[in-house]
Amino acid sequence: MTSIRFRMFFLLSLFTATTLTLAYVSYNTFHVFRNTRRQLEMSYVVRDEVAALNQQKPFADQLRRLQGYRAKLMPPRRMEEFSSLIQAYNEGHQANIHQRHSVFLKNEVEFQRFTREQLNYLENRLLYFAGLTMLTLAIGFIGLPLFLQRAVIKPIKSLSRKMVDFLNDRYTYQFNVPSMDEIGQMQSTFNSLAQRVISNMEQLKTLDQAKSDFLSIASHELRTPLTSIKGSLSLMRSGVVGEMNEMAANLLSIAENETDRLIRLINDILDLAKIEARKLPLTQDWNPLNQLVTVCLQSLNGLAQQAHVSLVMEAMPPIDAYMDEDRIQQVLTNLVSNAIKFSPQGGRVLVRCEVDDDSKLTVEVSDQGRGIDPQDQEAIFQKFRQATNANNPLVKGTGLGLAIARALVEQHGGEINVRSTPGEGSTFYFTLPEWRYSTGQEELVEKERAAA
Amino acid sequence: MKVLLAEDDPNISIIAKISLEKLAGHTVTVVADGEHALREALTEQFDVILLDEMMPKMNGVRVCKAYKAQSANPKPVIFLSAKSQESDIREFIEIGTGFIPKPFDPMKLAKQIEDCLKGVR
Repeated sequence: MTSIRFRMFFLLSLFTATTLTLAYVSYNTFHVFRNTRRQLEMSYVVRDEVAALNQQKPFADQLRRLQGYRAKLMPPRRMEEFSSLIQAYNEGHQANIHQRHSVFLKNEVEFQRFTREQLNYLENRLLYFAGLTMLTLAIGFIGLPLFLQRAVIKPIKSLSRKMVDFLNDRYTYQFNVPSMDEIGQMQSTFNSLAQRVISNMEQLKTLDQAKSDFLSIASHELRTPLTSIKGSLSLMRSGVVGEMNEMAANLLSIAENETDRLIRLINDILDLAKIEARKLPLTQDWNPLNQLVTVCLQSLNGLAQQAHVSLVMEAMPPIDAYMDEDRIQQVLTNLVSNAIKFSPQGGRVLVRCEVDDDSKLTVEVSDQGRGIDPQDQEAIFQKFRQATNANNPLVKGTGLGLAIARALVEQHGGEINVRSTPGEGSTFYFTLPEWRYSTGQEELVEKERAAA
Repeated sequence: MKVLLAEDDPNISIIAKISLEKLAGHTVTVVADGEHALREALTEQFDVILLDEMMPKMNGVRVCKAYKAQSANPKPVIFLSAKSQESDIREFIEIGTGFIPKPFDPMKLAKQIEDCLKGVR
């Protein structure tokens, strides 16, 4: 078991035990040292007192003071000798007193000499233990952080660096044989995590590839038979196979119209799928908006005449927009043909461009149809959500036009929406984020603005 | 006009054949693969050769290159293809005489061929 927690616990215990032991030993030694020194000091005092007694008969208070020292003398041998000396004084035998006196003084001198050596020794011991304690503390305070740095902080830093690398798509995530501790577990968990993410990403790529394959196969495989069907029907209707009766001609006409619708539907679905799968790259460039609107209105002129609707383009400032011309054309055509489709006979469809106070470029298509209920205004941009009962059967929709328009405008970074009052008509509008005044026209426009 | 049509989809060849023969009065010979097309183009005399790009055995571009290399008096070659990328179209026009995108409208096919041939003269 080499877990970091265990090693941490072991090191801390060792450190604590060593420190405590050293502190205990130091404390004991100091205690002995202090007692010994006290005995030595007392020994000097007692010797002086005893020497002062000389061999005369001592005063009572002197003897009483000596009695006070008696109990404190250590070791017991000195206490006994001191007791005998005092006893001798009390008994008053001169010879006995003399003998005890000199023996006691001699012994005290001997004791003092021995104690001084003892004190020196103890002092050295004290210094030694103090040194050891300092050393242990130093090892503890330097070693533990070092251990933490090596066992915890460094691996965590390396892990977080590898995570950052992983985020930045640099797969340096592999750790060589992770160690068996908590950090090692974290590293192997991260390894598995990274592998799972990568395998998921590969799966996604495969799916994406499958989607692309499906798109190209579907577009080819669906269009080929439809081409034959459509071709056969139009040849039959052209009369090359001989005259046919009215009923057959009607049926043929139905089949041909529905085939056309199916082809449009397939084209729209594939378009939308391509846009949503980001398989339809935009070829953006600076193009004059004015011209784009003109071309669009011209191409829809025939349809508008059939529907008895007038197309009006409001004079607009000379603006270049950064766009894929074909795609924005597709969006505008969709909006205008919708407007025609939902206009009453004699109605008017108005196209205008506007730059508002926030310098936002908006292209608007307004009709005078019956408008859209507020609850339907979001729904019409969804797939296959088509308003029914168009006033005009000329424009055949697939229910995907607005969904495609929205996808295209959003791909350009703009937004598309509608405002409508039921009964009064609708205005569809979209914005283009990147635009500028046409070269050479900028000053003119500024002047016009100033004049206005 | 005598037209050679190389097209592997039988339905499309029938439609193109009817369209060109009944509507425009051309004579159409149909083959279904590249090798056959090359052999036919080199042995018989045609006024124009229509090649589908995607065919078994030899694709249209290879047939066209081989035909131009081997024929003493090569006739105009027009590609029919569903490929619509600009790079493909440029290749078709460089190698052959013209390009007609698929799906084509049988009512307009003869006119499209005429336009391609006019471009040459």
